[in-house]
Amino acid sequence: MPHGPGQARQPQTDNTLDGSPILPSIIQSWHLRAVIMLLLDYQNVLIQNILAERFSGVPPASVDQTVSDFDGVLFHISTPETKTKILLSIQIRCFRDLVKYGAVEVLQREYGEYATDTEPGYDFSVLIDLEQLPEDRDDREALVLKFALLKRNAMAAPFEAAYTEHYKLKEEASQYTSEEAPKGVLEGGEVMSIHYREEEAIYVKASHDRVTVIFSTVFREETDRVFGKVFIQEFVDARRRAIQNAPQVLFRNDPPLELMDILGEKHTGSGDVGYVTFVLFPRHLTPQRMPDVISHIQTFRDYFHYHIKASKAYIHSRMRKRTADFLQVLRRARPDTEEKERKTASGRSFRVQN
Amino acid sequence: MAHQTPAVVMDNGTGFSKLGFAGNDSPSFVFPTAIATKGGAGGGGTGSGRPAVANKPSFLTGGAGPTGHLASKRGTEDLDFFIGDEAVSAAAGPGYGLHYPIRHGQIENWDHMERFWSNSIFKYLRVEPEDHHFLLTEPPLNPPENRENTAEIFFESFNCNGLYIAVQAVLALAASWISSKSSDRSLTGTVIDSGDGVTHVIPVAEGYVIGSSIKSIPIAGRDITYFVQSLLRDRGEPDSSLKTAQDIKESFCYVCPDAVKEFGKYDQDSTRFANHVVTRPGGRQVTVNVGYERFLAPEIFFSPEIYSSDFLTPLPEVVDTVIQTSPIDVRRGLYKNIVLSGGSTLYRDFGRRLQRDIKKAVDKRQEESRKRAGVTSSGPGVDVQVISHRKQKHGPWFGGSLLSQTPEFRSYCHTKAEYQEYGPSIVRRFALLGGPGGA
Repeated sequence: MPHGPGQARQPQTDNTLDGSPILPSIIQSWHLRAVIMLLLDYQNVLIQNILAERFSGVPPASVDQTVSDFDGVLFHISTPETKTKILLSIQIRCFRDLVKYGAVEVLQREYGEYATDTEPGYDFSVLIDLEQLPEDRDDREALVLKFALLKRNAMAAPFEAAYTEHYKLKEEASQYTSEEAPKGVLEGGEVMSIHYREEEAIYVKASHDRVTVIFSTVFREETDRVFGKVFIQEFVDARRRAIQNAPQVLFRNDPPLELMDILGEKHTGSGDVGYVTFVLFPRHLTPQRMPDVISHIQTFRDYFHYHIKASKAYIHSRMRKRTADFLQVLRRARPDTEEKERKTASGRSFRVQN
Repeated sequence: MAHQTPAVVMDNGTGFSKLGFAGNDSPSFVFPTAIATKGGAGGGGTGSGRPAVANKPSFLTGGAGPTGHLASKRGTEDLDFFIGDEAVSAAAGPGYGLHYPIRHGQIENWDHMERFWSNSIFKYLRVEPEDHHFLLTEPPLNPPENRENTAEIFFESFNCNGLYIAVQAVLALAASWISSKSSDRSLTGTVIDSGDGVTHVIPVAEGYVIGSSIKSIPIAGRDITYFVQSLLRDRGEPDSSLKTAQDIKESFCYVCPDAVKEFGKYDQDSTRFANHVVTRPGGRQVTVNVGYERFLAPEIFFSPEIYSSDFLTPLPEVVDTVIQTSPIDVRRGLYKNIVLSGGSTLYRDFGRRLQRDIKKAVDKRQEESRKRAGVTSSGPGVDVQVISHRKQKHGPWFGGSLLSQTPEFRSYCHTKAEYQEYGPSIVRRFALLGGPGGA
């Protein structure tokens, strides 16, 4: 049962959840499990499996698979030239946004020696030569994991940029007292926006004392929206009960002030779009915690939707149970001594005498 | 949409689930259709064959419920489960019970299946179901209610973009299109689907299963393994575990044209005997001799009397009967396109032997009928062709992958909007994918 990792983002909500709880408290109650249990992995399991198998020293074979990941990310793993050279390419919808915030540098840093000419139609490619792998088993496993984390690393660029900016601003701000600091330092940097899905985006903004990450979410389903609200509400309880040092979380239907400049009047409270804001405090912003925090926050949306769906599955199983119970009651209610007409062998009917 | 996400193809069978993306030539994941949940093993629960449902949260039971750590109080049991290989290993330890939600090809436990799907989508395939179309499979003669239940789960729990449910036999036919022998991409043919538990012979006419003529044979992969094991035991080999028997079955067995003559060949030529090396858990190696079982094991399809005493009809005869009980106007098509699917049809020369035996039976019957009618000239004869191809191990999955990558696939799916408009009964009918009017 994975415990620890979830706690980095058990957040507090401001009570900006409008309206009273719509669903009875029973639904709220088991949402906390989401916080305790079952986080999604950050790496792509399939790529990990394929590479682990190839790296284990089995005879080389040709591979050609298209693999999908969350948020419309597409991988292509193939052996175009020889069976010992595996080409792994990734296609990300928002790659252009990511490049703007330094994705190329991050990818070069992570995969420098493996990076290769980008396959047409994709955004980034690495070439793995099976004949030049590290000898050590642990090293190989680490390498497999590194490639499986390709998406995570590409998406990490803006967050890393925000971290760097935060350190810089912190440095600058430390020279002033809070009153006399120039405007630029107090307000913080530019808002970076990553349009990682068709209708949804992540916004990252660094300032001297925090990093703000805002997710815009769209629910196509009325029920999902309700679930989503309850889910976030549950974060409040979690923070109240146990975990005080989680980042702050706010949820609102109109764009937060940070985004006013970007969105303008476009999305004012249309109701479909919700904004989830995470405020990362210096506690989360230490260089040691950076990789973890970035991984967590990236999977937020998938995790959110996963648990909405898991919750529905849970409700369904209770509904099925209840139906079965009712059916049982009905069966019991049926009179068991039903009067039956009986026939003799010759075809005449008779009644049983009691 | 600027770029299309590949459709997700899921073939959930009794033993194994095959999951992957459209357009790939092999499934991305193949793992047991098993789920390990907290609490008792299979068969437990509330009498009606259902699993125990998570307790109500304690504040609803008036605080009488078990207190203690947060998880139990808040009813988190429903997320505490594993699927696939992880399930099998988790069930080996304490605390977890293993369940197989599919029995005889049909889904029996919807609670488990829903969680199995949810985990396979999010944890293994890593896709957001709202972004993808799904192609699922069902066995022939699946009750329409099961389809509706499946649709409820996929549309209501997962909000999937679009859904298509295809019959496994039809997909297996589509998979055979990659064979060079298959010329006209027809969806008429006889599918011999032999998995681990049971072998089905299913006639399909223009994409529709002729349900009344389906026949099952209680001999399949597992029986072959048992048979190999019993032969090993009879000879007193040093290792006769099921695993060894299975390995021998998979790497050494083949189908011979005539078992009696094959014995003679083995006696003359000792190079035909092989050795199989088994590494015991301790690292010690033992050598197992492999002899007549190489051809005797698959022979039980053709001469079942050597293995079983209750089922005595050879497979070619069953196929012949199935086609003879089908409507007369499709019989030629059924003979011409006999497609193999499933792991137990992979033996070398399986198709050739089957084709020869069926052809023999057909010719004999024609000869007799000509004699009775007093006709001397021979007619055009019936074309019997058994098609085996590279992808027949995961035939239905591959067929699904092939069909769902076509551009018109999406128009064949039912969408969430249609589901909401008409209700679950909409999935009782699907337009025939890959049929006439298609590509």
